[in-house]
Amino acid sequence: MTLKESFEPDILGFLCNWCSYAGADLAGVSRFQYPPNLRIIRVMCSARVDPTIVLETFIRELDGVMVLGCHLGDCHYMTGNYYTEKRMKTTKNALKSAGLSPERLLVDWVSAAEGERFATLVKDFTERVRKLGPLGKETDLKPQQLRTRLVAAKETLAQERVRWLVGRERELVEDKNVFGEKIFQEEFDQLMLQTIEKEFVRRRILLSIGEDTLSVKEIAQRVEASSMEVLRNIVSLERDGLVSMAGIEGNSPKYRRIGG
Amino acid sequence: MPGLAKYALSLPNVVFAKDNQYTCSDAGLTEIKNAIAENKLNRVVVASCTPRTHEPLFRSTCKDAGLNPYLFHFVNIRDQCSWVHMQETERATEKAKALIRMGVARAVLLEPLEETEVEIYPCALVIGGGITGMTSAVSLANRGFEVKLIEKEDRLGGTLNSLHRLYPTHEEASKLVQVKMKEVERKPKIEVMTSSEVEEVEGFVGNYDVTVRQGEKERLFKAGVIIVATGADTLKPVGMYGYNGKTIVTQIELEQMLKEGTLNAHTIVMIQCVGSRDEKRAYCSKVCCLTALKNAMLIKEANPNAQVFVLYRDMVTQGTRYEDYYGNARETGITFIKYSPERQPAVENGSVRVYDELLGEELILPYDLVVLSTPTIAHPDSSDLAQKLKVPVDENGFFLEAHVKLRPVDFATDGIYVCGCAHWPANISESISQAYGAASRASIPLSVGHVKTEPLIAVVDEYECSGCGLCELTCPFKAIRIEETEKGRKAKVIAASCKGCGACGAGCPEKAIIMRHFTDEQLLAQVIALAEVKA
Amino acid sequence: MEEKPETVLVIGGGIAGIQAALDLGDMGIKVHLVEKKPAIGGRMAQLDKTFPTNDCSICILSPKLADCFRHPNITIHTLSEVKNVAGEIGNFSVELRKYARFVKENECVNCGECAAKCPVKVADEFDMELRKREAIYPYYLQGVPAVMTIDKENCLYLTRGVCRICEKFCTREAIDFEQKDTDTTLNVGAVIVAIGFDPFDPSGIPQYGYKRYRNVITSLEYERLICASGPTGGHLTRPSDKKAPETIAFIQCVGSRDLKNNRYCSSVCCMHATKEAMLAYEHDPKVTSYIFYMDLRAAGKGFQKYVARGEREYNMNYIRSRVAKITEDRNENLIVRYEETQSSKTRKMTVDLAVLATSLIPRRGVEKLAKVLGVELDEYNFFKTNPLSPLDTTRPGIFVCGCCREPTDIPESVAQASGAAGRAAETVMR
Repeated sequence: MTLKESFEPDILGFLCNWCSYAGADLAGVSRFQYPPNLRIIRVMCSARVDPTIVLETFIRELDGVMVLGCHLGDCHYMTGNYYTEKRMKTTKNALKSAGLSPERLLVDWVSAAEGERFATLVKDFTERVRKLGPLGKETDLKPQQLRTRLVAAKETLAQERVRWLVGRERELVEDKNVFGEKIFQEEFDQLMLQTIEKEFVRRRILLSIGEDTLSVKEIAQRVEASSMEVLRNIVSLERDGLVSMAGIEGNSPKYRRIGG
Repeated sequence: MPGLAKYALSLPNVVFAKDNQYTCSDAGLTEIKNAIAENKLNRVVVASCTPRTHEPLFRSTCKDAGLNPYLFHFVNIRDQCSWVHMQETERATEKAKALIRMGVARAVLLEPLEETEVEIYPCALVIGGGITGMTSAVSLANRGFEVKLIEKEDRLGGTLNSLHRLYPTHEEASKLVQVKMKEVERKPKIEVMTSSEVEEVEGFVGNYDVTVRQGEKERLFKAGVIIVATGADTLKPVGMYGYNGKTIVTQIELEQMLKEGTLNAHTIVMIQCVGSRDEKRAYCSKVCCLTALKNAMLIKEANPNAQVFVLYRDMVTQGTRYEDYYGNARETGITFIKYSPERQPAVENGSVRVYDELLGEELILPYDLVVLSTPTIAHPDSSDLAQKLKVPVDENGFFLEAHVKLRPVDFATDGIYVCGCAHWPANISESISQAYGAASRASIPLSVGHVKTEPLIAVVDEYECSGCGLCELTCPFKAIRIEETEKGRKAKVIAASCKGCGACGAGCPEKAIIMRHFTDEQLLAQVIALAEVKA
Repeated sequence: MEEKPETVLVIGGGIAGIQAALDLGDMGIKVHLVEKKPAIGGRMAQLDKTFPTNDCSICILSPKLADCFRHPNITIHTLSEVKNVAGEIGNFSVELRKYARFVKENECVNCGECAAKCPVKVADEFDMELRKREAIYPYYLQGVPAVMTIDKENCLYLTRGVCRICEKFCTREAIDFEQKDTDTTLNVGAVIVAIGFDPFDPSGIPQYGYKRYRNVITSLEYERLICASGPTGGHLTRPSDKKAPETIAFIQCVGSRDLKNNRYCSSVCCMHATKEAMLAYEHDPKVTSYIFYMDLRAAGKGFQKYVARGEREYNMNYIRSRVAKITEDRNENLIVRYEETQSSKTRKMTVDLAVLATSLIPRRGVEKLAKVLGVELDEYNFFKTNPLSPLDTTRPGIFVCGCCREPTDIPESVAQASGAAGRAAETVMR
């Protein structure tokens, strides 16, 4: 019984049936030991892991997430892990927007023969998350604030435009689209990052309004952004039918959420 | 592990729990069956080794007890818990409890699922009537299956019709064609359509609707499986080494001369790797070395005084037979000159200039005939056919199989197969093996008569679907496609082809795709259950 | 189909035999898959990665092993050999002998308690004798069936009547020292031979120093060393001092294209040496590899590109040469003496490790099996076939595929195996 209690992170792993889960089984058969912080959810392919479920995991205050698939080129379902790679890249960006260290999400490839490597990966990641500390330690946000940001990040990743863009990355960067156009990886990454950041701000604004009816200034206070930025977003949200004006206080219009 | 059954009983929805040493033994399985019956259980969770080996066993146990096998969940507390945390038994036990909690949470949300069957139309379409296509067709007909054999040209035989003799036995190509054609004719189950081309193919495994054009006529028929045996072409070395089709010819043109007896040359220089193993075509075409050896030997046989030079980079004569064949060739007095790709030979002023790497000298060889060994290249119609069948081709235009190592004659799309030179340059022996291979694979769905559709597939909620097509783009199996419906463009899942990987579902912009047995709710329930018992 | 499905015997549980069995089973035909070793998997299970995709070999193989095991139409007979084949096409009577495992296959759950207690240590065959195993052991970790086996040549009880400690610790009562070899007769319509290959023993070429110098190893030994589930956990270390090698020589055509040993070309060695050199670099980018070859044979799909990539990105050098002799210096580094073909000069090079690409040769005991089957072998002892009926042996109803027919790579073996299954199906489903 130690007086000083060291922080034990809670880690969730999504492992694909054909490679990484099999690698974890082999670690077991070979008796390679690793810390018991990891709990595993089995999926058939790492591509099943929707970015939103990674966020759901962090919203519920788990400290680290591992998404492990087959080595690139070896996916049992041919191309699944390429999608995993792209999606998790964007997920990390969303985590950054929310203020979390993207190091809390580990994406890696483990084959069915890499029992020892799996154990080492778990050991290393557990240590890494332990050093990062409990969820949110790297920010100076209170738990409720962090939670709001994470929900906004999740909603960002659930947004159709974002998902559409994420899904087209392979085609746009590696193949060509129907017009024979191709864009560079760096250009795409920039575009994706901007899209995530923009959408994140929108979601934060919508979340901060909640059930209330607020003026731009009040919203700006809640989300800790400038009134100018909030106004810009309100205009576009109004155009998209997500907010509408619902009253005036003095000279300031007040807005509320509508629709879904 | 002690105490786990007790813990499990404390969880909501759990009415029966037992610790067992060997649940997978006959006794253990019987206990499960009895428990289901006695307690009227409608969900079962087993916490033990790994689902990868034992899930099917427990699923069929549930089935035997009258419970839908997909209402069963497996928790891994051995390979992924007790065996890897041997020094931390307390924490391992806590982890096992957490995993069981997660498992129960998922089990509660599992739905009963049924396998369905899709009938396979009992007919095979073989596209290509060369030696490969004919071999596949005959093999399938021998098994009693109907075969439609489509050939673009006006007669069967394919590339063999352009060849003279075959290595390593030097028998006549035309004889082999005749033998095979007779076999085809003798099979009433094979319907041959020459001068015919595939116009359109719709459908999926077991149910292909094929439109074939024969001149002015169009014929529609159904097929259960399709075999692509369309062969390949040979590169015409236009602009290379002064190719003129008369004194500087290809190997195929040489074979014509040998066949017709019009070869009138005393000094023949053959150049290997013309237009292959270079920037444009980075591959080795496998058959050209042997073809050159064959033709060189035939020339020497007819005229022992002929001077034959073979200019090569590497001599590719693999295996038991062909190395000996190379040995035989050397013994007939053919001169082999090794050249390197950095110093290509040159054909000028009636001579071939070549730097012999082994002698370290430049040689000038006056010639009567230069023969250029050019690579087998993808048939110009391949990409067109690939589009019609919705199958991929590789960067060289050859059809791309499902898996280079373990599924060499299958396409990723179920029910379509490939063999012979359509797949990759192959000699006749290999083409025949592959033809039997493809016929064998194609005969599996034909033999079974139906395709079982695994219930762990994607399902589209058409109300939410916006028809954006991202899913169709994502799926490598062509198992989800956009179709016109009264409500507009909607995604439709082809159950027989869907593998249930979830790539489409996790990317759908509208969250309109449900992955059966791995739904968002089921996954989230596990996350929530875990969060409830954080370390 | 209305035909009554008959039965086919597949001899050999490597990738070719497994593929043939699965295809036949899927067609509805009953299969007896006979394997001499305690588990199926064959040579492919011993490889680390496979060219040209560098897929992990066991990863792509294990689903097939599991499918075979679970398949309702396939009966696997491990530790079994075919003793006699009588009859004719469509109706063969096969005498099968199953050797005693001394472990009950239905009870053993592979928990490993017995091996942990066994006092005997012998060289492990699967790991090419690079490590020791106990007398009760799993043939290899991912093997199917996943049960232990007792090595009757080395078990203390079976040789000297003492010990039996494994029996004491087995909680399943799965050890049975009373087991006897059993004989059964099977009635089958066709037979497929898929027994694979053995590696040539380079002790037959003393100038290469195999077994004399510790750091001269064969390609299969290399595969086990570099494999994550092998004797060194995938850490490539030299046998002599366990140091990680920085220079590796791969010597091709050892025991092939050789007038004294085997004239034929072993087909796959140019490719697997390329792969092995790539893996060495992947494990440690300080490694430089030298491949001493005669003719580069990379004619399969994607092969030429693979070789080019190796040369370009993996610190690999292809030297067209003939290696005359290998000796060692006092640090047990190898001195490779070779004739550089292009310049005709003799040179020497010192390397940390030498890997001999040993030729694929027919299995030991193949002559006996051929006699039992009543089929002819060619001059090299591979099963004789006609180039235009490449999967038929000289006896009707008996087919062949894979490396026992001719050295061949995995994609070809698999295509041939499917083909042989088709031929067998034609035979039994008349």
